[in-house]
Amino acid sequence: MISAEAVSDHSRPGRICQGQIIILIAIVLALGKFILPESLIRPPNWLVWPFADWINWLFDFIKDDLGFIFVTRAFAAGIEWLLDVTANLLYGRNRWPRLGPLPWTFIAITAAMIGYWLNGWKLALLSGGTFVWIAVMGQWKWAMETLSVIVVAAPIAVLAGLLCGIAAWRHRWVERALNPILNIAQSLPHFAYMIPVVVFIGVGPKSGAIVTIIFAAPPMIRMTLLGLKKVSSEIAESGMMSGANRWQLLWQVRVPSARTEILVGINQVIMQCLAMVVLASFIGMPGLGQKLLQLLQALKIGRSVEIGVSIVLIAIMLDQCSKAWVVKEPKHFEKGVPWHERHRLKLLWAGLSCLAFLAAEFLPLADQIKRTQALTVYKQIDTVVERFIILADPVTQWLRGFLIRNVLIPMRDVYLWLPFTAVLAFVAGIGWVIGSLRSALICLAFVGMIAMTGWWDRAVITTYMVSFAVLVVIAIGLPLGIWASRARARARLVLLICDTAQTFPSFIYLIPVVMLFGVNDVAAIGAVIVFGLVPMTRYTIEGLRSVPPEIDEAADMCGAAFRQKLWKVRFPLALPTIAVGLNQTVLFSLFMVIIAAFIGTQDLGQEMQRALSSTDVGKGLVLGLCVAFIGLLVDHLILTWSARRKVALGIS
Amino acid sequence: MADGSETVISCRDVWKLFGNHPERYFASIPSGHNFDDIRNDGYIAAVRSASLEISRGEMLVIMGLSGSGKSTLVRCLSRLLEITAGEVIVEGNDLSALSEKELIELRRSKMGMVFQSFGLLPHRTVLNNVAFPLEMRGQDRIERRKRALEMIELVGLTGREDYYPRELSGGQQQRVGIARSLAIEPDIWFLDEPFSALDPLIRREMQDEFLRLQGILGKSIVFITHDFDEALRLADRIAIMKDGLIEQCDKPDQIVLNPATPYVAKFTEEIEKSRVVHVSHLVAEPSGDIAEMEPVSASATVRSLARRLISDASEELPVVDEQGAVIGVLKRQSALELLYGERS
Amino acid sequence: MRKITQLAAVGAVAAAPVSVSAMDSSDPITLATHNWSSQIVMTHLVAQLFEMNGNNVELVSTDSQAVYESIRLGDVTAELEVWEGAFGVAFNEAMEKGGLHDAGDHNAVTREDWWYPMWTKESCPGLPSWEALNDCASLFATPETGDKGRFLGGPVDWLKHDVERVEGLGMDFVVVNAGSAAALWAEVASAEPTKRPVVIFNWTPNFVEAVWPGEFVEFPEYFEGCKDDASLGPNPNATYDCGNPADGYLKKAAWDGMPEKWPSAYKILTTISFTNPQIAEMAKLVDVDEMEPEDAAAHWLEQNEDTWRPWIEGSS
Repeated sequence: MISAEAVSDHSRPGRICQGQIIILIAIVLALGKFILPESLIRPPNWLVWPFADWINWLFDFIKDDLGFIFVTRAFAAGIEWLLDVTANLLYGRNRWPRLGPLPWTFIAITAAMIGYWLNGWKLALLSGGTFVWIAVMGQWKWAMETLSVIVVAAPIAVLAGLLCGIAAWRHRWVERALNPILNIAQSLPHFAYMIPVVVFIGVGPKSGAIVTIIFAAPPMIRMTLLGLKKVSSEIAESGMMSGANRWQLLWQVRVPSARTEILVGINQVIMQCLAMVVLASFIGMPGLGQKLLQLLQALKIGRSVEIGVSIVLIAIMLDQCSKAWVVKEPKHFEKGVPWHERHRLKLLWAGLSCLAFLAAEFLPLADQIKRTQALTVYKQIDTVVERFIILADPVTQWLRGFLIRNVLIPMRDVYLWLPFTAVLAFVAGIGWVIGSLRSALICLAFVGMIAMTGWWDRAVITTYMVSFAVLVVIAIGLPLGIWASRARARARLVLLICDTAQTFPSFIYLIPVVMLFGVNDVAAIGAVIVFGLVPMTRYTIEGLRSVPPEIDEAADMCGAAFRQKLWKVRFPLALPTIAVGLNQTVLFSLFMVIIAAFIGTQDLGQEMQRALSSTDVGKGLVLGLCVAFIGLLVDHLILTWSARRKVALGIS
Repeated sequence: MADGSETVISCRDVWKLFGNHPERYFASIPSGHNFDDIRNDGYIAAVRSASLEISRGEMLVIMGLSGSGKSTLVRCLSRLLEITAGEVIVEGNDLSALSEKELIELRRSKMGMVFQSFGLLPHRTVLNNVAFPLEMRGQDRIERRKRALEMIELVGLTGREDYYPRELSGGQQQRVGIARSLAIEPDIWFLDEPFSALDPLIRREMQDEFLRLQGILGKSIVFITHDFDEALRLADRIAIMKDGLIEQCDKPDQIVLNPATPYVAKFTEEIEKSRVVHVSHLVAEPSGDIAEMEPVSASATVRSLARRLISDASEELPVVDEQGAVIGVLKRQSALELLYGERS
Repeated sequence: MRKITQLAAVGAVAAAPVSVSAMDSSDPITLATHNWSSQIVMTHLVAQLFEMNGNNVELVSTDSQAVYESIRLGDVTAELEVWEGAFGVAFNEAMEKGGLHDAGDHNAVTREDWWYPMWTKESCPGLPSWEALNDCASLFATPETGDKGRFLGGPVDWLKHDVERVEGLGMDFVVVNAGSAAALWAEVASAEPTKRPVVIFNWTPNFVEAVWPGEFVEFPEYFEGCKDDASLGPNPNATYDCGNPADGYLKKAAWDGMPEKWPSAYKILTTISFTNPQIAEMAKLVDVDEMEPEDAAAHWLEQNEDTWRPWIEGSS
């Protein structure tokens, strides 16, 4: 995203001076608000363009006049057929091939064997155990509803991503065209994807699957492109000299050699699929996500926790399995190893599966566990939670009141008070100071577009929530990261926790905050903070721990005390990495603010939910783009700064 | 080896420029522009006006430091890179005139190449790596397995057919690379710094192995190296490159004895010439009677005669060729000068 | 269960329906569920009735506004609760576009509007008039709303026009949307111990009135055109300057293709009619008794066989 020109640093003093002048103008505009004409305070009507109407017109044109809806419906019918097959196998939906549902024991055994094959008995325990938990807790059908969609959506997303990635690698213009689209796509909030899908495809599992595919494909495109670019020229040349034609060269030489990146892409696709499938409950996707949504809305904490645990287990299992696949290298058997030894795992699997089917035949409990037979601990959880809440209530009530009265409301008012022209000037000035004239113009364009959509106030509220959350995240995450980075074992533990937490679908983070604060603004911000804390902590640790040991030792030999060393040596060096973490925190926070809309906020997210409800594509996309622009603005500023810093420090 | 036999590869006045629209630039290039002038115009002249001929069964070593254009040149000879100007004729075909299909056909039947970092396919076993070129040209499974096993035996890796590349040491991996490049029985064998990534001991071992193979196979070889010792050790002829230009192309003895440019001379300074120069290059007319004396072989290196030169004080030694016929004398004085350097 | 026998029988029984209604298609009937309890239970209940009739039924959870578009296109077959106040507009719009129709009313009167529990009247005695409510707006103030009163509205996707009404009538209130229906009840429950005055969005039939007696606020009476014509009503410059209809309908809506594809199920659908107390009971089973919707539906069917038996018998 950063061109070489933006990184070159020759015009530094002039640049900063011009930037400062613009920031000064911004301050003057803000201070002089009371004498400003109204049109400089709020975007005047002539500036607000009816983008939503245009988009709606365009969609209607494509949908009805060009008859595109038949294409999408035909595509959806194809997807639905696949979904019916997996739905039948996994939870016995009454569709072809009418074989299902497969006994839960069989699926658990298969999962455990895959886990064992990928990374030994620990992973076997995790994957098998996940399914046992789901079955025993009586959530089998819901979990299978969720998985039946992932099983269809993930491979299609992988394939689509792979093909787009290859096209982008082969043709420079495709890459150039895709790049901005991917940038925006990856900063659009989840809901923005759902509305067009509802328009074109409708509601239910197939729309859930399709929105999941669309949402999950971009990282695959990126990773495929990266992987293909990284294939060493010698390997490609050795393929050419072996007489491979283009097709053979691509599929037998380049793609297999990009295996690692492609598998990392697959891991990302799977995790994105899970995140989206859970959220797609908003457009009628059944399964664990929908159950969680309903239970959370009904404030049934105990049952939400049970479902939440299942979702978390599935997330960890999928993540661990796909990551193990990335590092799993093929291994040879020594000569003379007999056939049954070579295929030991397959035989074992076949044997155990037969046992499972037999058991299912004679023992209903080994086939399906009904909800009446299932274990449940929600009453106990509820009791514990209730006691805890009674205990914590004075604190949370006080905190809630204090935050709303003394922090959130004043902060929101200040944000809303600012004239939009001052914000524009300020952002442009910052862009100029950090980057160049080009950065200033980019920033100006992003904010200007938001002003032109007419959603200025809502966008400002979103910004205020995100910026408050990010401030809190920095205040907690930075010290936490510094503390964790002081000892290797501790750092590894915290990193592990962060990595694991990062795999959870964002929805999960709502459970504890709803439990503590109920359904309101503070809960929403709480969820954003918890969610954003993960990347901040993670990158702080990584930044501090990746300071070269020689520099560390040099500082020791200069007699720096721990504190001096931290602030004078390690921290400045780690800052560019930490900035990347900050960037992710902002993006994560934006997403979470939007998701949290359903527990009652007043920002863009709320409007987006309205747009989703009234299937207003234009409004939904415009709002989505507003969110994306905020994200891209921050992304541009932080990455430009970080790249400059890295060049200045000579670390790449 | 090379004498009088047909030319397999010939390249004439080959240029390779990197940059935007190199052909357009090449057409307008002022004569007398050197490497740096061209670079200032925004182009890299990786190969400049290179002309070479490789005869059947000959081993040509292209030697140069990194960035000298040697790897680019060998890629021009195999059309892994399109040349900017000039022509490359391989087995009578103008390489740049071949269609993609014909080029692939040529590679499938006539060319093999070994790479510096081996270029093995990480997802295939040793056997499947070696069989890869055969698979590409559509040979059936049984036949290609048989042929691949032969090749694996040839390079001494029998028993490791089912290993994956990452399970092998560097030297073993390069043996796989060599086996693969030989699987289709190529006439022309390109080796791009095949031993540079190996540590010195293994490198030496692999060079011996390579000489053994060449002894059996007798291919036409283009061998790239940045190691002058290696070049001297292996080459029938050496081409020395600098900044895209071939500075000198000649037999090792000639290069050592008569460096064409100061740049070449700098390489040869450090070399113990007596190891390289064969007696045949020092043969002179006899000035006295030599009949009685025990003759020396024309193909021996001067170094191998050191002991005799010191113990035997006669001024001239008779030199015989492979058939045992006397072809002249070796003057003790000139031989000792070569051994111990000229008196200064 | 009994996989192996099932496997063997797959080819033979492929799509044979199990019951009398041989004329109905074996394709599943899709019913939509939303985010309030009575609707979810009623949908499950009707689904179970259809199943008794030998139909295949599938439930999808959809947005309560978007569902009419889905019915129009045949993605969803029927909707069981069309509330006049909340969904009348979307329903009528979809009907104009074509593809869905009115499948009859329930024997219920609905009302959705601002509502307060009885204790609120103690501190604001002028209620239920809206002017009186506006005069005690400061009683309802919270930290979020400053000195204005807070009105806790339903979830955003119910698309209520409370904000417009507050503006149209010039009220000193701020509309805050609750995340869910449960959040509304939670608010009343938390106000109860201290008899704190609250005003929330509520509707009837609902279980709430059985738990907390209360009243709807009396706004200027609803009239035709209030929602589209600014010049009508007390405020000549604003729409929505009126209350919601006090005697709204509760309808069923069906896809136009349904009568042809599943004639016997369609007959059941048109016959079904629930009353206010029955609907309130359904909501109570889930919201108060904490049953799963499926179980609540089954429970209701068990208890009220006299009510539903005639509906399905009439169809076959």
